[in-house]
Amino acid sequence: MVIALDSNDMKQVEALVSHYEANQNLVSIFLKSMLGYIEESPELKRFAHSVRSRMKDPDHLRDKLCRKMSVAKEKDEPFDITQENLFVRINDLAGIRILHLHTTQMNDINQCIKAIVAEQPIELIEGPAARTWDDEYRSYFRGIGIDTKDSENMYTSVHYVVASTSRTKITCEIQVRTLMEEVWGEVDHSINYPHKTDSVPCREQIRALARQTSSATRLVDAIFATVADLVKKEN
Amino acid sequence: MSGNGSGITNRARAKRITVFNHKGGVGKTTLTYNIAAQLSVLGKRVLLVDSDPQCNLSAYVIDGEVLDYLLDESDSPTGQTVWTSLKPLSEASGTFKLIDPIELSSRLFLLPGDIRVSDFEEELNDFWRECFQRKRKGFAGIVALSELVNEVCSSHDIDFVFYDSGPNIGPLNRIILLDCDFFIIPAACDLFSVRALKTLGRSLYSWISQWRTMIELAPADMDLLPGHPRFLGYLPQSFSVYRGGIVRNQAKYLSLLENSVRADILVALREFDVAIPGASPKLGEVKDFGTLVAASQTEGVPIYEVRTAGTAEQRAAAREAFKEIAEKIIRQTR
Repeated sequence: MVIALDSNDMKQVEALVSHYEANQNLVSIFLKSMLGYIEESPELKRFAHSVRSRMKDPDHLRDKLCRKMSVAKEKDEPFDITQENLFVRINDLAGIRILHLHTTQMNDINQCIKAIVAEQPIELIEGPAARTWDDEYRSYFRGIGIDTKDSENMYTSVHYVVASTSRTKITCEIQVRTLMEEVWGEVDHSINYPHKTDSVPCREQIRALARQTSSATRLVDAIFATVADLVKKEN
Repeated sequence: MSGNGSGITNRARAKRITVFNHKGGVGKTTLTYNIAAQLSVLGKRVLLVDSDPQCNLSAYVIDGEVLDYLLDESDSPTGQTVWTSLKPLSEASGTFKLIDPIELSSRLFLLPGDIRVSDFEEELNDFWRECFQRKRKGFAGIVALSELVNEVCSSHDIDFVFYDSGPNIGPLNRIILLDCDFFIIPAACDLFSVRALKTLGRSLYSWISQWRTMIELAPADMDLLPGHPRFLGYLPQSFSVYRGGIVRNQAKYLSLLENSVRADILVALREFDVAIPGASPKLGEVKDFGTLVAASQTEGVPIYEVRTAGTAEQRAAAREAFKEIAEKIIRQTR
């Protein structure tokens, strides 16, 4: 059930979107600085295949705020996002995605991100948390000290939220996932974002694709585990 | 934007002022020195900072041989110029080195300039860029001169600081302006001085707005430049007086100047709250004192104290003009 928003609600949403548009340069500067910190970490470069980034489109922010407001009304809770807390409450206005080849690189990447947080004027305010629906990976992530969350829609990625330690706090979401997970994520995103598809066959096929890409990730992991084992035996 | 903490800790109480115009030949150095000297006569403790790599102010007020010695020694550990202090930043080897100001006369002090400050100025472009990348090194470089001045102000109980600046819109003048509490615009009575105000206003706008963005994102543990200079007024000068009135074509430029100051400075920078409420945009008037200026530069004394040129009346008029300006500055910076 979706509760309709009235004109007052929309006015509130529009004010927040305008506030974002007027201050997009702060988000942009922070995003670029984050990319700079990542770029300058030679360690991270070794493990990351590539890095993508984006700033949230104001239209997508409007959708997100409308959804949140609708949910708040439905649950009869206050909608408490204001101009003062917008840049923290919506923590993916700046977004970075780090792509890598195989799952066991996650431990090293996690160490690199923690080192960046320790060195630069930023703080970790959320995560790392891994979304996963696979028992084997769930235990791997827990084993390297990363919390896990169930993923009903079969989305997989490790998430962090960092914030600038500055007078105005700006946040940035960092997602880390394998290239295979990226394939699934991109297909799902184009079909289900910003609005979920109603087509049953589409939904079914996307769920099936999750199993395909997951097993491809698992195969890549197996290949690298084999290589690691060979290297170990040679030494 | 929201937030707390100004980002400036322990800023000394001295009011920092710059006589700034990117157009050359409008008497910046002469005005700076004479106003500062007059303030010290009025009992204020004044620090002159020669931040112009051309060192005109230092050449004006210290003996040529002494300046030569200072410049020869400035690279050594015992150096005493602004470059000696800022060199560690240029070489990425540390923070600024504290230097002692030269006491020019009772209550008037100078941090001597240096041609090599231009090396530091080159680095400033990188520091500025690094601030936008939220790197601590960039902020450390941008605030170094301000921190040096702050230390000297605290240890010498300074009331007023005057930065002397070169005639350009460069990175050194940018940090000076952003560090200052007040700026004064000197202007000559000619077409180019009027035109220059437009580009001056635009530069100030972009400096202040960029820095204020930076203040919002700067690492919380860094000291910052305040980025809130206020306009103390403009100073028309070098106009000629004939039979008690200003000669006609210059009178025309005087009114153009005032219009331009209102439009290109006060209105253009309105959102940054640069105006001093109730203050006239004109700080004072400095007419052409003829041979006094050149003699003052040769003798290294204020123009109202020269011995080798001009008449007693001229000197008295000059003294009166600068006294009025100095008194007005004391009132308006309270």
